[in-house]
Amino acid sequence: MSENFRSLETKFLDKTNRISFKYNGKKYYGYKGDTLASALLSNGIHLIGRSFKYHRPRGIMTCGSEEPNAIVQIGGTGSFTEPNVRATEQEIYEGLEASSQNCWPSVEFDVGGINNFISPVIPAGFYYKTFMWPKKLWYSLYEPAIRMSAGLGKSPTQPDPELYDHNHLHCDVLVVGGGISGIIAASISSDNGNNTVLIDDKNSLGGSTIFQDDENFKINDEISSVWLNNQIKKIKNKKNLIIKHRTSLAAYHSYNYLLARENLADHKSLNERSNKLRQRLWKIRAKKVILATGAIERPLIFNNNDRPGVMLANSVKKYIDYFGVRCGNKNIIFTNNDSAYETAISLNKKGINVSIVDIRNNSSSILVKNAKDAGIKIYWNHTVVNTAGYRRIKSIQIMKMSEDGTNVIDSKINLVCDNLSISGGWTPMVHLFTQSGGKLKFRDSDQVFLPNVTTSDQISIGSCNGDFELDDVIKNTISECKNFLSLSLTDFDLLKVNCPKQKESKNIWLLPNDKPLGKTKPFLDFQNDSTAKDIKLAMREGFRSIEHVKRYTTTGMGTDQGKLANMHALGIISETAGVKMGTLGTTTFRPPYTPLTFGTIVGRNVGTFFDIARKTPMHAWHENRKAKFENVGQWKRAWYYPMDDESIHQAVQRESKAARESAGILDASTLGKIDIKGTDASEFLNRVYTNAWSKLGIGKCRYGLMLNEDGMVYDDGVTTRLDENHYVMTTTTGGAANVLSKLEDYLQTEWPELDVWLTSVTDQYATASVCGPNSKNILKKLFPKVEFNDENFPHMSFKNAELDGINCRIMRISFTGEHSYEINIESKYGKSLWEKCMDEGKEFNITPYGTETMHLLRAEKGFIIVGQDTDGTMTPIDLQMDWIVSKKKYDFIGKRSLYRSDTMREDRKQLVGLLTDNPNEVLEEGAQIVQDEKKQPIEMLGHVTSSYFSPNLNKSIALAVIKNGKKLKGQKLLVPMKDKTIKVTVSDYIFFDSKNERLNA
Amino acid sequence: MFIITCPFCGERDQSEFSAGGEAHIVRPKQPTELSDDEWADFLFMRKNIKGVQFERWNHAHGCRKWFNVIRDTSNDKIHAVYKMGEKPPTK
Amino acid sequence: MLNINYPKIEKKEFPNLQLNLVEPIIKLNLRGKSREFFTKIGKILSIMLPTEANSSATIKNISALWLSPDEWMVYGRDIDKNLKLSLDSEISKLNLGSVTDVSDQWVLINLKGKNVFEVLSKGSPFDFNKFKNTNNVVVQTLLNHIDVILHHNDTNNVNLFVRKSFSEHLWLWINDSSSFL
Repeated sequence: MSENFRSLETKFLDKTNRISFKYNGKKYYGYKGDTLASALLSNGIHLIGRSFKYHRPRGIMTCGSEEPNAIVQIGGTGSFTEPNVRATEQEIYEGLEASSQNCWPSVEFDVGGINNFISPVIPAGFYYKTFMWPKKLWYSLYEPAIRMSAGLGKSPTQPDPELYDHNHLHCDVLVVGGGISGIIAASISSDNGNNTVLIDDKNSLGGSTIFQDDENFKINDEISSVWLNNQIKKIKNKKNLIIKHRTSLAAYHSYNYLLARENLADHKSLNERSNKLRQRLWKIRAKKVILATGAIERPLIFNNNDRPGVMLANSVKKYIDYFGVRCGNKNIIFTNNDSAYETAISLNKKGINVSIVDIRNNSSSILVKNAKDAGIKIYWNHTVVNTAGYRRIKSIQIMKMSEDGTNVIDSKINLVCDNLSISGGWTPMVHLFTQSGGKLKFRDSDQVFLPNVTTSDQISIGSCNGDFELDDVIKNTISECKNFLSLSLTDFDLLKVNCPKQKESKNIWLLPNDKPLGKTKPFLDFQNDSTAKDIKLAMREGFRSIEHVKRYTTTGMGTDQGKLANMHALGIISETAGVKMGTLGTTTFRPPYTPLTFGTIVGRNVGTFFDIARKTPMHAWHENRKAKFENVGQWKRAWYYPMDDESIHQAVQRESKAARESAGILDASTLGKIDIKGTDASEFLNRVYTNAWSKLGIGKCRYGLMLNEDGMVYDDGVTTRLDENHYVMTTTTGGAANVLSKLEDYLQTEWPELDVWLTSVTDQYATASVCGPNSKNILKKLFPKVEFNDENFPHMSFKNAELDGINCRIMRISFTGEHSYEINIESKYGKSLWEKCMDEGKEFNITPYGTETMHLLRAEKGFIIVGQDTDGTMTPIDLQMDWIVSKKKYDFIGKRSLYRSDTMREDRKQLVGLLTDNPNEVLEEGAQIVQDEKKQPIEMLGHVTSSYFSPNLNKSIALAVIKNGKKLKGQKLLVPMKDKTIKVTVSDYIFFDSKNERLNA
Repeated sequence: MFIITCPFCGERDQSEFSAGGEAHIVRPKQPTELSDDEWADFLFMRKNIKGVQFERWNHAHGCRKWFNVIRDTSNDKIHAVYKMGEKPPTK
Repeated sequence: MLNINYPKIEKKEFPNLQLNLVEPIIKLNLRGKSREFFTKIGKILSIMLPTEANSSATIKNISALWLSPDEWMVYGRDIDKNLKLSLDSEISKLNLGSVTDVSDQWVLINLKGKNVFEVLSKGSPFDFNKFKNTNNVVVQTLLNHIDVILHHNDTNNVNLFVRKSFSEHLWLWINDSSSFL
């Protein structure tokens, strides 16, 4: 049985609630409220994983989100598994399974550890430099091999079974961080009538003050933790304050738009979780934001500073004072400042052996005096030059520093220890501030970047604003909040605060050593294994910008985004390059602040809700008929209706033949429909379409082509004149919303004088399009009162008619080249109309056809589909549609562009037909067309836009856009494919019934 | 994601709007009288500046009205919104 | 006879939330800006079209929703075919503006209960803080990326209008979201 390191009482954990969990297959115990890190430490486990590059043993360093080393795989191998979880943030639950990452076969014995011994030959940029050639080997050999030996955890191989949710939240004031300044701010804000939200990433509020039992820190004569505890009790009952625990801010965008991830279930056992949300992403819009994100402790950079058992001093204090766990029996504190003495005093008070190595000469702080009085041994003016111990630190070697701090002198002293607590001062967490667009300033006195200028309504308070002493934190928090919220008084104005002041300080980014830098391993970025050496190498190789050095050495590019590493990297660069830190700038902090799982990002937009599905009123019928659907924009359109086990080809051939031989029916409800009213409606149409509209008779339909101002075809459709000042326009399915928006744009901005009203009626009507030689017979049965002869109801005309007392708009228009009618009815009757058509059409073998057959039929007729045969670079002239461009009209959208020198070029790509020499060979849409295969470089003349096997012509047909195509009619061209070259002949683009005889058949 | 104050509906989330490019480019009344260069000026030339820019926005998912926005493209700060046909506010 | 087919939207109960499809009722889209337009509408419908942004006016069983400075939607059980015809003949036909039947364009879903705005907040970026404390207000916004018109006609009672083709999808989404309140 291993030693129990939880010898101490703590009020923060529920000691009656013992929890068992598994780590690397072995069972351990902890208590409710423990993090995985604190529970492992209480079992004496420091070694958690192997480092990324050199596979060096690494242990727990911190107690929060900045943890670089202790990242684990949670949840075995099943679908619940999650990689790269920080053990310092993961709360334990009954049955938790965690394992080490990046080691094989085990964390204790790892084959990759060999990298550590060959590390002199894998410096920064090693992979870039080494695996450059032969290039071919990259995909087959280098990349797979590197990926296996590098990489962190294992991604799950099954879909994530957990549930995630999104929610919007609007508040007056958002306070980020539940430490002492955040609590005071939230209290002040909510007391003054602001809807306030306080978020904190831990399971309980209080930050680091909540476990501060030192008599030196007092607020209103109470120990600071006691005072704070009372404040927390008070704010829990405040009316307009929402407190969100286990909620971490992921991103801070402009206009105070913030994303926060609330953890609802990660601390619960799997049984308690089922069918409940795991995480919720809050999309927060706050009028004002108060950042109280605190500061994190800096490490010190010295040789072999990465062994398990080397931890940040304040974290060691939290493990003792909060979790009741001692991180070692023989502790050494290594510091450059006074705050680490709090840890020493805490350890000492609890009877744990501790001594201190301080790089300073002395300090007059009361904390230092207390430590001295307690008999703690302090080595002044010393630095650690080496450490020993493979899986756990065993001892350190220290040496005296020279006067100027650049060198070490005298003899080495060997000190035995099992824990080394390091403290290099504090770094304000300005990540969120900079994410929001804020600019930083540099404070030379203690070498920190602080919030400076911002465009959004926000403040930073407490240690993230550079206040590190309790009295400053409280005093400035109150005054900043008063100023920010325009208050003259708060309940906190008369607080009396006592605390020790930080005295002498000394900052050395890279501590001196007796060995040359090349022989040492002073780690900067523990997660990505980059050392001070790598930074200096990068600079020797000419990298100067911090952003470049970062990428070359990968410093700060791990899952922790270099929360611990970045300041030292900057410091070393500035020292080496001889530039001031403040002028160097920082790397960009990008969201998310801590990694987010994809589930949180997508929320409920999975499965059914992955994308929006628009359905026509007839959708259920199509489904019932086993139609296959295709996505057109957001619409689900019937693609084809396979019978028995027909393939798509067979179904389309059958549908096409039926439509031409007897009768077919298509669901055309998805076409955009715009109701146009007003005395200037005709003039408006004149301006938006290329052809003339004034003379269109009432009850007549006309096809129109709409251009952009650049002269390129934008949309097309048939518009019907219902009355003198009333039209209904149809648009393409995909273009409906954009066309309406464009038309509104012209009406509102360019032509406000026009009396025209536009209303979308796309969803108001369901449309069944009945075509084929028997369509007339079917319509006659449906509408016995209507005369369907060509005289009374000619092609391109419209009639109102009733079906069982319900009004229908019938347009005799055709997109297939057949005699054809479109019946529009209020959409609630759509399905019923469709069924009627099927019933009445039964004797004529009416055949439902989908979009694929529609495409084929219109291609036979050479009708274009905007977006398939056009791509925003085709003018009507290019499409051989000169006939639709009015020469008489003074102006219409895009007219002027048709006379630009470029649009008038004769060798533009033009729409033509293509026939394959082998009539059974169907071209691939998108295939390139060339004339001379041997020419180098080969000249692409154009490409195939539509291609089908026509059952009605019994041969393959295609539309294509080809350079100078109009003049190439009859010429042979080539379509080179991967395995063969297909010979084609340029033809007319109308393949079927070029005299339009069938329209009136 | 910024917040835009629609001159008709008030403050709304950016997702309700669509952007329409530079403002105050008037469509020539007699395009056919223009030279290729003059027409190209209207058609293609946009300032696209870093800094304060005049833009057109459409409250596409709200009242469907187009309006003008003065926005600093370097920090997305919106200085003013005003209706179509109105003159930009001076300062 | 032709059957009426509506998306499958049935009554659903969730904690403090009832969802309900409102049977097809007449909805009209009105466009216009002249004084005569307002007077005529007022006469025919006995309702003054609201000119204040994002507001609504309700008299008996007719509600008029402000959609933009020259666009309104009127709906309600008291609008019948005759009313529709007289609007058509006195507004559209006389070129005073436009009256368009959008009864089938929009599907009306009623949401009732304390949790109405909880559910809406899951998919809408709109700030409901003020809206939920005011009756007779209207907002056109997005819900799960779908255009909706929301009419808050009574405390914790919202009439939601969605285009018919989106209605089934949105209905499923609302149901799904309501189960994670």
